[in-house]
Amino acid sequence: MDNKELFHQFSRQSKKGILIIYLSALYKSLKVLWIFLFFFLQKFSKISDSQLGLIYLGIACLLLFLFFRSLLIFKNFQFKIEDQHFILQRGILKKTNTSIPFDRIQNIKFKQNIVQQLINVFEVNIETAGSSKAEISIKALSFSDANALKQSLSSNTSRTSDIENISKQKPLLKISLSQLIKVSLTENHLQSFLLLLAILIGVYQQITELFGGMGERELMDFYIEETSFSGTNILVIIGLLVLFLVISVISSMVRVYFRHFNLTVFIQHNALEIDQGLTTKSSVILKKEKVQHITISDNPIKKKLGISFITFKQAISGKTKKKQDKIIKIIGCKKEQVGAIKKLLFPNEAFENPLKKLSDHYYKKRLYMFAGTFFLVLNVLLYVRFELHPLFWLNALVLPLLIGWIHLKYQKQYYFCTKDIIVIGSGSIETHHTYLPFFKVQNIKLKQSIFQAKYKVIDLVFQTAAGKIRIPCLKEEDAYKIYNDTLFKVETSRQSWM
Amino acid sequence: MSDSFQNSVINTFPTIFEVVFKPIQKSYLKVILLNITFVFLLTLGLVFFLDSNELFEVSEFSFAIYIIITALFAVIFFLKIISFKTRKYIVREKDLSYKSGLLFKKLTTVPFNRIQHVEIDQGPFTRMFHLVSLSVFTAGDSSDDLKIRGLLKEEADQINDFISSQIDG
Repeated sequence: MDNKELFHQFSRQSKKGILIIYLSALYKSLKVLWIFLFFFLQKFSKISDSQLGLIYLGIACLLLFLFFRSLLIFKNFQFKIEDQHFILQRGILKKTNTSIPFDRIQNIKFKQNIVQQLINVFEVNIETAGSSKAEISIKALSFSDANALKQSLSSNTSRTSDIENISKQKPLLKISLSQLIKVSLTENHLQSFLLLLAILIGVYQQITELFGGMGERELMDFYIEETSFSGTNILVIIGLLVLFLVISVISSMVRVYFRHFNLTVFIQHNALEIDQGLTTKSSVILKKEKVQHITISDNPIKKKLGISFITFKQAISGKTKKKQDKIIKIIGCKKEQVGAIKKLLFPNEAFENPLKKLSDHYYKKRLYMFAGTFFLVLNVLLYVRFELHPLFWLNALVLPLLIGWIHLKYQKQYYFCTKDIIVIGSGSIETHHTYLPFFKVQNIKLKQSIFQAKYKVIDLVFQTAAGKIRIPCLKEEDAYKIYNDTLFKVETSRQSWM
Repeated sequence: MSDSFQNSVINTFPTIFEVVFKPIQKSYLKVILLNITFVFLLTLGLVFFLDSNELFEVSEFSFAIYIIITALFAVIFFLKIISFKTRKYIVREKDLSYKSGLLFKKLTTVPFNRIQHVEIDQGPFTRMFHLVSLSVFTAGDSSDDLKIRGLLKEEADQINDFISSQIDG
């Protein structure tokens, strides 16, 4: 308890924080300057001694400057807790004073990267629904301070009882190594493939930018033209694709292994605590009332193994795109754990034997229409651009895939309502079940094209603080009912929705 | 479906689908048409510029291109005119709704207790006709909340005041 009193006065981070700030500043400048460093090393022999001296002097100055800057950042970084507000003062020349009321805090994240683990300090991030720039990140706190801060921030009502509970409680979920491997093998490898591709393109762009002024671009373009389609190259392309596939499987395995290593989930009475990570250990406290909606997902293989993952959606600011690692996800949940989390978030709901409603047949028609257009455009393009026969075999591949995809998409689209919650199913290869409490809805929309009007079907779109959820092609009368019902529930609700 | 709705009090709650919506100001049609004409002239000017400088080698088609552009704008012009009557809004005790569209119908409702702020703004053309647009914003990822274009300044202020009083009350 006396730890808690600590924050009533302005306090600084742990002294080790200087090191952390310094290292992160170094890392940042290295990230910007690595290309120069590369050149420097390459042309090392050509540089004269006097120039070398100047360069070393420059580097020394930079290091010194960064050190003093880190020192000043540390000196000017102070925080305290006052009157149910977290107050932070920072800034060397431009002073910033941030104050966050407790009930606006969306979640509190604890992080430890390798360096922080070595010197045994914790990074504490305090996240709100505002823009990501307004987020507070305390780089280094000692374990006891970090824990005290967590306790005073996370549970402002029954503080002491909670602390004891956590330490004694059995975790809801603890993932062993073998389970983790199982999960990582069944990940969405396409996603990691795209991620990998994005990184590659990023590196490529950086390199072309570098070589851009040097006339080597033409060379590169020439090379690309040289290697355009011909019989043998198709084999090369297929080989490359296989290689990429293998790489993406491995990369998604590594990603899952590093991020979710030793995943442990605790349930507190109104929050979830999620601990995970190998090199960067992180621990998030997720308040129940700050969750806008959740999605429970699996794919065919995961389903066979009886595991699914839960994604928690929270209010986000409209202008900043959420980074991948900011999305809160619990992987590898078994049925009981999914049930427990559902029970925690929606205690009074019965989800058994729901009356699932599929979308109207028109939805299938619309999908076929879109797919047909895509197919037509693809073929016209192929014909006009290449006039190559082997490529037309693509059609034989694409057509069954498209039909299968439409079939799956139609089958998996459903919804049902309980008293306070609407459950919406969607997906094609993966299956998603989204649980949205009616009172979290911020605005509601109906959309209908004249074709839909002919078949008396309509699209329904719920807008929440965490994004859009749509049900395509409902029957008109059902949509009207849900529309009125949602409005009624939102307008009579007195619960805070954010 | 009917089973799962048994508990709701929906029968006593007036449904929005029987409410008579209010049309927006008729003079806003002129603003729309002015806007389209403006864009049309701009496009035409651009195409003419490109054509006369022969930046693309399409001079043999240039006549057809002009025809296509004109036809496209004529269709948009016509559609805007016939769909203008569908732009309607209604303020109820607890929410604000707006509907529009002929080929693609759209109805949006925002409950007052989810509104974060209201904005009233005026463009150069709308100023000529003493009209304003009223936008309503909710929290978070509210990329497209509700916007009613073509209201009189007094109407918009009234709605704004009403919403403010409802949020605070």
